[in-house]
Amino acid sequence: MESSVPDFILFLGRFHPLVVHLPIGFLIFAFILELYGRWKRDSGTSLAIEFALLGGALSAAVACVLGYMLSLSGDYDESMLDTHFWFGIATTLVVFFAWSIRSGKLNITKLKGLKPNMASLTLVVVLVSITGHYGGNLTHGSDYLVKYAPFGRKEKVVLPPIDKLEDAAVYDYLVNPILDAKCASCHNSNKKKGGLSFQDSIDIKKGGKNGEAFIAGNVAKSEMIRRTMLDPHHEDYMPPEGKTPLTDEEKSILTFWIEKANADFRVKMGELETPEEITSIASNMLGLEDVTGKSGIPLPKAVQVNEEILKDIADAGFKVRELIFESGLYEVVLPPHFISSKNGEELDGKLEKLLPMKDNIIWLSLKDNDVRDRHLKTIGQFVNLQKVELEKNPITDVGIAEITGIQSITGLNLYQTKITASSFENFIKMKGLKRVYAWGTAITEAEVTSFAEKENRPAIIMGM
Amino acid sequence: MCDHHDKLRSNNRDLQSIEKQWDRREFFKKTSLGIGAMALGSLLQSEKLWGAVNPVAGSIDSLNSFAKNKLGLPHHLPKAKRIVYLFQSGGPSQLDLFDYKPKLKDMFGQDLPDSIRAGQRLTGMSADQTAFPIAASTLNFKQYGESRAWVSDAMPYLSEVVDDLCFIKGMHTDAINHDPAITFFQTGSQQPGRPSIGSWISYGLGSDNDNLPTFISLVSKNGSGQPLYSRLWGNGFLPTEHQGVQFRSGKDPVLYLGDPENYDGNDRRQMLDYLKKLNGMAYDAFGDPEINARIAQYEMAYRMQTSVPDVTDTSDEPDYIFDMYGPDSRNPGTYAANCLMARKLLEKDVKFVQLYHQGWDQHGNCPGGVKYQSKNTDQGTAALIKDLKQRGMLEDTLVVWGGEFGRTVYSQGQLTETNYGRDHHPKAFTMFMAGAGVKPGFTYGETDDFGYNIIKDPVHTHDFQATLLHLFGIDHERLTFKHQGRRYRLTDVHGDVVKDILI
Repeated sequence: MESSVPDFILFLGRFHPLVVHLPIGFLIFAFILELYGRWKRDSGTSLAIEFALLGGALSAAVACVLGYMLSLSGDYDESMLDTHFWFGIATTLVVFFAWSIRSGKLNITKLKGLKPNMASLTLVVVLVSITGHYGGNLTHGSDYLVKYAPFGRKEKVVLPPIDKLEDAAVYDYLVNPILDAKCASCHNSNKKKGGLSFQDSIDIKKGGKNGEAFIAGNVAKSEMIRRTMLDPHHEDYMPPEGKTPLTDEEKSILTFWIEKANADFRVKMGELETPEEITSIASNMLGLEDVTGKSGIPLPKAVQVNEEILKDIADAGFKVRELIFESGLYEVVLPPHFISSKNGEELDGKLEKLLPMKDNIIWLSLKDNDVRDRHLKTIGQFVNLQKVELEKNPITDVGIAEITGIQSITGLNLYQTKITASSFENFIKMKGLKRVYAWGTAITEAEVTSFAEKENRPAIIMGM
Repeated sequence: MCDHHDKLRSNNRDLQSIEKQWDRREFFKKTSLGIGAMALGSLLQSEKLWGAVNPVAGSIDSLNSFAKNKLGLPHHLPKAKRIVYLFQSGGPSQLDLFDYKPKLKDMFGQDLPDSIRAGQRLTGMSADQTAFPIAASTLNFKQYGESRAWVSDAMPYLSEVVDDLCFIKGMHTDAINHDPAITFFQTGSQQPGRPSIGSWISYGLGSDNDNLPTFISLVSKNGSGQPLYSRLWGNGFLPTEHQGVQFRSGKDPVLYLGDPENYDGNDRRQMLDYLKKLNGMAYDAFGDPEINARIAQYEMAYRMQTSVPDVTDTSDEPDYIFDMYGPDSRNPGTYAANCLMARKLLEKDVKFVQLYHQGWDQHGNCPGGVKYQSKNTDQGTAALIKDLKQRGMLEDTLVVWGGEFGRTVYSQGQLTETNYGRDHHPKAFTMFMAGAGVKPGFTYGETDDFGYNIIKDPVHTHDFQATLLHLFGIDHERLTFKHQGRRYRLTDVHGDVVKDILI
């Protein structure tokens, strides 16, 4: 089917979306001129209308031809295409008709009394609108226009929330959302690029022009995943240039579904042997707690911090750096020795100042600043912290207990503090914690060795 | 201040008339354009408009441009906050250090098969050889750590930390001679003139410590060989304040920081303020951004008068730290001492510390040369990694070790049972990284039985540079600088991030 159409025809066809705007402009302009002429009772516009109609008619004819060429690609839904096709031709014919009346080339006495000009122009505008609307539906999908309309919004099918990963159907909860977000804008029931639609399981099984979209259990032969794995510059790479590519995690999920779940549309996570990597990706996708503790902690969604607040914090002596541009996620550093035992009281006030942006701070460094246990109570509220540097401060085990609620911390620097091995219990409570630096504390190598035998515990890193 | 300068004024009649024209232009500029620009500025968010002009010295206001980067960086969450790049200049022999090839022992003295060399170009130094006899390493290799990484006995200290290292055994580069190869590694281009990696990072991410340069280079005094030149840490076409500042390898890393005899230094601030004013006038007249860079550097130098003695003073380091870095570390300017200094600079949040150690160019007497070089560097490198780790700094500090290329499996010159030389080999060599965001205890890539060609997971110089920037939160394709009509990047039009070595 594909090979019968020469590339050059398709190349020309792609100019259709460009050229169609010409008749639309011409014709609406003619209509406006007509209205203006009647309102001002000015017949001076007459020549311009005639010219605009001719331009509209010719460009509409060209658009029709190009549109036909484009339709040969077979990427579009047949029935919708038909409507657009016939309306397009009808519009073109009516425009020619309107132009002939206007220019006097066609003189039908019967129409004389019917104000033919106004009537034909109104018809033209209506037809152009309808044709245009169907054309838009073809390119953007039929829900494009009113998707964000304030009225009549259809509620999407909402999947019932689940508490356990085992209950999640692989396709419904993991695969379909990815296809929906990354593929369905071009592969749906209306716009079937390459003849492929991801609308529902029946369509997916049907495949596209190049054959089946997937071969259960065989990733290498499954076109829908093979193409996402190619070099981004490759001709067959999907999604095409300009669209958001699949992330590595998304590719892993699709691979898992085809390979391990045999591309089954019903199977649930619990029925499959799931590698840890997939468990953690899936948990993150569904917002469930990651039981493996292996995944990188997902970045919290943060609101932007007010400039005034940042300025206030910077004036208090903190260094503030945004970690990803315009993400609202920050690193906050209090330069070492800013606080000593002499001005120790000041630290309380300074930490208070951080509270307005407590959810925005993910890296925090307060090393060598006379941080005490009472300060950790404040820090305990910074629930999105990932990397915390508290070394060289008189902190004890009591202080550590205050921050165990922060599950996102992965690296905790406590070297040269006053903690002991009794903090180990608290480290285990911190699920995300991977590394604790404890050189120069009361903790001994022997204690670390015995702690190392426990499961799901962070590494305790000592020194010489 | 009792000066009455507010404009540059000339005594020359002709020049004076030009200056009058300037004044008229100035008037128009300040009235019409100025108001227009201000209006536009408020539309486009003032911060972005003035952002580019901001880095004039001394303007360290509290928020600084620190909170939000004017270049739209970082692009993603960084893993690394700082880096120490231990450049082993000359091209260390991977075959005598890390890339263990036991099968070569049986092929001792045999000619390297043509199928392996496959017509590859050689340097002028060995291209005329009638034979290319295979030289197996005479050094002993053992596996170490939980990662079972192979290390030769030339590096006993490093073998203790292999579980923190990520070896890249499939490095390859384009250049075959020192100058282009080292320039290529440092700047992404074999021709001189592009900015060094450290300059790109300084330009892209700015400083974490206003009192020290963002990019500092140290050349150890106990290595000698192929020359190094300041353009390797040069800023190329980037603004000059981003160039690497070289610390001297001696007792005084920066000269003339102390006050001369009979001068108390009290009016220095006043002198600098006046100088800044003069420079500011020169900038108004000529508009050369280099003048701003100069102002910034004077101010940096002023701040360094207090910050540098503080950071280079190792007297408060305990003996066991010196012992860990080895006896050389008490001798300022040696590689080991520079490693210790690097740790201190990194502790002060200097973003990019680049060490160079020359002398890895073993065309002859390779076994002896490698041992000698290792003796001077092994303990310092290993100690630096241990020291950063115990302080928790390996969490966000990247350590890079490597040269500009590797060395050939065939002997350059005479091959004997105990001695051989090795020529330059760009097609396969080994580097290692450690710390922030790279997999510890991991080996990536593989070479063939001859250590000549890469058979698995090659990493090109540009890939390495892309990965390095990636760890700092920078998309190497999006950090660009427009110069001479086009936008340049460190990796030019190449480079892929080596995701497989990232955590």
